[in-house]
Amino acid sequence: MTRLHADEITLSYGGPQAVIRDLTLKVPDGAVTAIIGPNGCGKSTLLRALGRLMAPQRGAVLLDGHTIHRQSTKEVARQLGLLPQQPTAPDAITVEELVRRGRYPHQSILQPLSREDRAAVERALEITGMTDLRRHPVDELSGGQRQRAWIAMALAQETPLLLLDEPTTYLDIAHQQEILSLLRRLNRTEGRTIVLVLHDVNAAAQVSDHVVAMRDGAIVAEGPPERVVTPEMMETVFGIACDIVYVPETDRLVSVPRSSAALTAEPLPTPPIGRLRCDRLCCGYGQRCIVDQARLTIPAGRVTAIVGPNASGKSTLLRTFARLLKPMSGTALLDDRSVVTWSHRKFAQRVALLSQDAAVPDGVTVEDLVAVGRYPYQRWYRQWSHDDQQAVDEALAATGVEHLRWKPVDAISGGQRQRVWLAMALAQQTKVLLLDEPTTFLDIAHQVEMLDLVWNLNRREGRTIVMVMHDLSQACRYADHIVVMKDGQIVTTGTPAAVLTPALVRDVFGVESSVVDDPMTGRPLIIPEQAVTADAAVAERGGPPAAAAQRSMEWTEQSA
Amino acid sequence: MMARSTSPSPETTPPSVRFVQLGEVAFRVNTRVLSMIGVALVVLVALGAWALTLGSFRLSLQAVIDALTGAHAGDARFIVRDLRLPRVLTASFVGAALAMSGAIFQGLVRNPLVSPDIIGVNAGASFAAVFWIVTGQPSPLLPLIAFAGAVTTTAAIYLLSWRGNIAGPRLILVGIGVNAILTALTTGLVVRANIYEASRALHWTTGSVYAATWGDVRVMVVVLAVLAPVGVGLMWALRVIQVGDTTARSVGLPLERTRLALILVGCALSAGAVAVAGPIGFVALMVPHIARMIAGPMSGGVFIVTGVLGALLVLGADMVGQHALPVSVPVGVVTGAVGAPYFLFLLYRANTRV
Amino acid sequence: MSKVTSTAPAQSTMAHRGTLPAAKLGATLLLCVAALAVVAVLSLRVGSIGISNADAFDALFHYNPASYEQTVVRTLRLPRTIIGLGVGAALAMAGAAMQATTRNPLAGPDLLGVNSGAAFGIVTAVYYGHLTHPLQFVWFAFAGGLAAAAATYAFGSAGPGGATPVKLALAGVVVSSLLSSWLTALLLLDQQTLEVVRFWLAGSLAGRDVTTFTSVLPFLLVGLIGMLAMANQLDILSMGEDTARSLGMHTGRVRAVVTALVVLLAGAAVAAAGPIGFLGLAVPHIVRLFTGPDYRWTLAYCLVVGPLLLLSADILGRVVARPGEVQVGIVTAVLGAPVLIALARQRRVAEL
Repeated sequence: MTRLHADEITLSYGGPQAVIRDLTLKVPDGAVTAIIGPNGCGKSTLLRALGRLMAPQRGAVLLDGHTIHRQSTKEVARQLGLLPQQPTAPDAITVEELVRRGRYPHQSILQPLSREDRAAVERALEITGMTDLRRHPVDELSGGQRQRAWIAMALAQETPLLLLDEPTTYLDIAHQQEILSLLRRLNRTEGRTIVLVLHDVNAAAQVSDHVVAMRDGAIVAEGPPERVVTPEMMETVFGIACDIVYVPETDRLVSVPRSSAALTAEPLPTPPIGRLRCDRLCCGYGQRCIVDQARLTIPAGRVTAIVGPNASGKSTLLRTFARLLKPMSGTALLDDRSVVTWSHRKFAQRVALLSQDAAVPDGVTVEDLVAVGRYPYQRWYRQWSHDDQQAVDEALAATGVEHLRWKPVDAISGGQRQRVWLAMALAQQTKVLLLDEPTTFLDIAHQVEMLDLVWNLNRREGRTIVMVMHDLSQACRYADHIVVMKDGQIVTTGTPAAVLTPALVRDVFGVESSVVDDPMTGRPLIIPEQAVTADAAVAERGGPPAAAAQRSMEWTEQSA
Repeated sequence: MMARSTSPSPETTPPSVRFVQLGEVAFRVNTRVLSMIGVALVVLVALGAWALTLGSFRLSLQAVIDALTGAHAGDARFIVRDLRLPRVLTASFVGAALAMSGAIFQGLVRNPLVSPDIIGVNAGASFAAVFWIVTGQPSPLLPLIAFAGAVTTTAAIYLLSWRGNIAGPRLILVGIGVNAILTALTTGLVVRANIYEASRALHWTTGSVYAATWGDVRVMVVVLAVLAPVGVGLMWALRVIQVGDTTARSVGLPLERTRLALILVGCALSAGAVAVAGPIGFVALMVPHIARMIAGPMSGGVFIVTGVLGALLVLGADMVGQHALPVSVPVGVVTGAVGAPYFLFLLYRANTRV
Repeated sequence: MSKVTSTAPAQSTMAHRGTLPAAKLGATLLLCVAALAVVAVLSLRVGSIGISNADAFDALFHYNPASYEQTVVRTLRLPRTIIGLGVGAALAMAGAAMQATTRNPLAGPDLLGVNSGAAFGIVTAVYYGHLTHPLQFVWFAFAGGLAAAAATYAFGSAGPGGATPVKLALAGVVVSSLLSSWLTALLLLDQQTLEVVRFWLAGSLAGRDVTTFTSVLPFLLVGLIGMLAMANQLDILSMGEDTARSLGMHTGRVRAVVTALVVLLAGAAVAAAGPIGFLGLAVPHIVRLFTGPDYRWTLAYCLVVGPLLLLSADILGRVVARPGEVQVGIVTAVLGAPVLIALARQRRVAEL
């Protein structure tokens, strides 16, 4: 049975190029369906069409056999709720008020809140665990709580069908798990049909009964997760080879992308310059101190990853090292000299930063943009030199964007753009390279590509690399040295194998996890667990644990 | 020392970019932009010559040239040298200064829809000038007062926007607020004035180069001679600011110092032009767009193109206002009537990112 | 199993923001009504001629045409007070509604170009139609304001990303500039026209005929009542396009109705009193400090606080330049623009 059905739909945003062409999807009732795919494959567009936010150029979205766009909007909203990506609440609205607005499709104009409305609001607050926070303004909640408040609003709508667009973006692993398990529970205990767009393939496999893999506006594969999330499928969908790792504790299969870099290469001998250190450092924004009394030495010539939950002060620390924030007290040192006493130019010749908030000026070509990185070597009377040209050429070559040299930056894809920004930082020819979440907006293949590039820079040229990272497994794979932060404090530092244990992940992130060996490096892989009990999940999924292990063995053999 | 002009291998440089080095001094030149500057200047000179022939007393081109070279004495010489030439030069210089000022402000706040007339610089000049007019003060000082008004207003906007740094959007919004206050106060002054002064004030706030003198020309020559080269130099830093504050700082640009320098130069260019001609609308807003469209992203060269195009526009608009319409209309009315629809068109077009 | 700790966010910031409980909101609203009554009485009394309470009372209820004081109240002060009440409420509610539909804290009827549109309509009518009496201005002001608002909204919301705050603000500024450029041309050509309209161009409650007001009163009432009825819709609309639509709202239709109501309100206000700046922008922000995001309360407060502030500004204008007076439009712009500047300084404007 299927209530929601996309029938040969074609979607476009007005341009000549269709985002989705002749796509058919039957959403299985009572199941959790996850839509996955690389950046720009049209997964969010599809979800918007299913949720009636976009009308297809051709074909139709059917709800119970009737075209959804011809039905009354309120009628549809009683059957089907959609939570957009990153919704924004009005200023100062309280959780309860927000949830109450979910009752809109059940109310008529000028009608006060009915008893059913109140009951539905209470139920939604309770299911999401927001009852205690009901009087809090939504914009003061943490990321995970805010997301729960929005889900509560969608629940109060009391629709049998619920669509969510990337509900876990920007959340740390604990909050991701929290949201995924909540959705899972909604499906299991209330029988709601749930459709999610997800970024993270493993999360999709973990939470869903049905996975839809998309590429270039078409469905490449769909079916139960163990059938879709396979090495072959990952290669077809994302264009990247993967290993499948079996997690015995939870009987789960996890796909791990393969890196093309020589990850076992030893670092070069420690260079004399490029050392960062801080001592009793306090820093933050305005009057607010975010990083408190930090004491840290970052080894020169190594890759260091800073990890921690949301709002733990990772980026703040990095930005202080990059001299973007002034220390409130204590010191941040570059090569034994306080970063604030360096001249602008000399500092920029030694430290480069790849930040998240770079602007893309209109019409500027890739080469011109990379040339901006040469600023610290230039004077107003000497605006260009042969050294500059050489540095730009090398940076373009190292990041593999030479062929884009004369293209305007606003005309290239997100993955390419991130490499161009990296090229700009490289043209600065610094000993130290700081990267603030360099993979946030990238899909898995582009993530690996980016990190491999950074890795090679370290192993071939001995640059000191410091990255703020989101994904613990990636941090383990690429970092020589890990810094774990929580609540503005540095919890611990050391090698990945020594630092990242399930106990630490529990203490710092507040989530249980399993650790398995990375098939490429032998370093730990951190697999967070869902909040529902493993047994229940297995029972629902069907099949004994041994069967999954068996499948894993087969794939490992095939891919070897 | 010898000028060395190298043309590197084709895959490293597109055909139109040349690398020029003269000892320590070295930079890249876009020959396409260079040729555009040349063409625009030629057109400007031609238009100027044409403007000198027009008027109630028509002259042939030969007569104009004779008058300029001093071959002729008499009426023609007086009309060309003392009446028409100052007006033509003032219109051109004012246009150039306004357009360059617009290019600086747009780059500074990274918003292509901003200009000194929207963020209150010109409203400051207007308020000061109208105050001067309605209180019946001596008119020779009027330009100085208008200049002071613009500078004071810019200082106020700068200080009100300062919160540890100058963020572009904040500068715009504060500017819109300041603009509103000053416009209201100006209206208040006009309402309280007698009808003759009100009319004069209105005329001034529209912007015109009517009755320009050699004194005006001298002021504008000084303003441009000092500020235009500084502006060209600052474009080098502006290019870095375009990429975002964080990046600009991490490549070692002293951000707030550079911004202050840009605001000072932009304000002085605009204030100089407004002092001489009154606030001529839309030149500052519109011309940088045209320049970017035909010559590419803003750079030192494109900045010069902007200036020349600004001169062309104001000179052309003044000619239209003076000769093409049944009644003589101040140049500010013409630029506004042409500029605003064009601006709305830009806003409407999909590629204007705000 | 994972333990998820829901740590409560800091309590400290709760005190000065967010919603007051309904009972307190109601009581505060009553206080505002009382204050409005006081200000209305002051508005009858204060001016170049001081009027006693008794005269004001008599003028209202036992009018004696022979008394000079009572005549002043009846023919001058009473009309401007009534117009102030209506215009203040209209502008404040129009501002609140604009801010909700555009989700833009900087929206207001004047940023939409309504005022300069109205001015343009009037100047055109005076120049070509040789109107002389403000009474005849009403319909031209109304039509001009309507057209200008429509143009601003169309240009500001065109292109990718829809009506971003900065885009809309700039479109408004430009439409206003375009209209004032044309308007200036007409005024420069004809000093007579300038003489007729320049007093109108500075918004004022003074010297307006009460019949001007009564002729736009129906529109005003439709606007006010209609807007109050739309409060619930505004709540949902302020959640953003996607959320509102997935809650089953026909956003296009609701937006059109709200915008029409805004233009009715703002057009009626500008026709009755001339351009009065920044009241529509500032009042909703002040009101929201008490009411929070709930538009039922916000609109109710606007209905009272708008006239309260407008009449106060009007009285201020009468007092500061005695025996003359400063037009209320100038007072509100001078007092209101700092609110905009303060907002710009306070908010993280990059997000706007």
